[in-house]
Amino acid sequence: MVELIDNVSQFFVSMVAAISASIHYYKSRKQVYFLLTCFYGTFSIGGLYWMLYILLFGYSPQVFYVSELAWIASFMFLLTLEITISSSEERKFKHPAMWLAPLFCIPQFFLYITHGEIINNIFICGITMVVAIYAIRGLIFARRQKGRLRDMQYLYMSALVFIFLEYLLWTSSCFWISDTLTNPYFWLDFLLTGALFVILPATRKAVRP
Amino acid sequence: MTYIENIFVCIVAPLLVAMICMGKRYYRFFIFSIAGMGACILSAYINTFFARIYNADLFNITTEIAPVVEEIIKLLPLLFFLLIFEPKPKEIESAVLILATSFATFENICYLTQNGAAELPFLLIRGFGTGAMHVIGGAITGCGLVYIWKRGWLKIAGTAGLLCAAINFHAIYNLLIAHGSITQYIAYSTPIFVLIVGFMVRRLIRTKQFSSIKLEI
Repeated sequence: MVELIDNVSQFFVSMVAAISASIHYYKSRKQVYFLLTCFYGTFSIGGLYWMLYILLFGYSPQVFYVSELAWIASFMFLLTLEITISSSEERKFKHPAMWLAPLFCIPQFFLYITHGEIINNIFICGITMVVAIYAIRGLIFARRQKGRLRDMQYLYMSALVFIFLEYLLWTSSCFWISDTLTNPYFWLDFLLTGALFVILPATRKAVRP
Repeated sequence: MTYIENIFVCIVAPLLVAMICMGKRYYRFFIFSIAGMGACILSAYINTFFARIYNADLFNITTEIAPVVEEIIKLLPLLFFLLIFEPKPKEIESAVLILATSFATFENICYLTQNGAAELPFLLIRGFGTGAMHVIGGAITGCGLVYIWKRGWLKIAGTAGLLCAAINFHAIYNLLIAHGSITQYIAYSTPIFVLIVGFMVRRLIRTKQFSSIKLEI
């Protein structure tokens, strides 16, 4: 039951965010909002399949990757968004803190492949790691700026928190305790839902005129 | 056991004869029809391969493996056409339509050989539903690619996004059918409904474009 509530809430939040981002795109015609709509859209499509599976059959998909493909696509849109929004100066910027992302992600990747498949994990961990690297770079770069450019930090911060929570969620799924609220997996997923939505206002702040 | 390749040969042979008789102008139509059916037979083989690897039962194959495999394989002939021939948007639309319908037709033939053709009302609903679902899946990827490939920054993520949208649409359709009861009728009617709405929206956009051109004149 908790799993269903968790998935239903995540689907609706991502759906609402997708609609909201698309309205922003319709009004402003900004590329960033288009990418954000795609990010939320693909995330919610993956969530819809997962949610229906649990709703109709009482358990989550076990064999192949349908939702995972949608989530990989959504991470790719988030990465494209980060690349699109960054300036040429920012792209040249390097900082040692960027190494924190592979330092955090790679050990977890090895944990995941002991519990799941290699190819799927290579894709998911690879893309999310790159998203995290760019988010750290963008965050440090934005914090050194003044005025409107400094507002970009919120977008990068929200993306970084989102990726961090995703990793915590995947790690907690490796140590499944129960199907009740005593399982930290559900708490992390609720937090993730919140972090997912926060990307929208953070992007608005980053691109406002 | 279904001799799927024998069925394929029986259907393709008259089409090939017709293609030769009708001349060059109609080559494209027949080639896409055969490619669509070929994609269907190829995905059946790949589905079986993955089913063996994952030790999956029929339910898992239908709801999880088949949508991914079928949508990717269905895209391959279209991708070849897009990359090699660089067609106009109108040509892409017809290619997508022929590919998807021939894929759905061959899938229905395989279904009939396995399950029989006794229940006409059910087959009628299934026929329209599956046909519409494959057309929508093809349209999402095919027509979406035309839009996306004009924009360099969107190429990789966009292609993945479109493919995942088609896969998930197909998977949700199969999931609802696998559940049975009233849900399967919702599944059969959803693609038809989406197709009708899609046509209406397209018509509306075209009418708007036409009226704006008129105003400019």
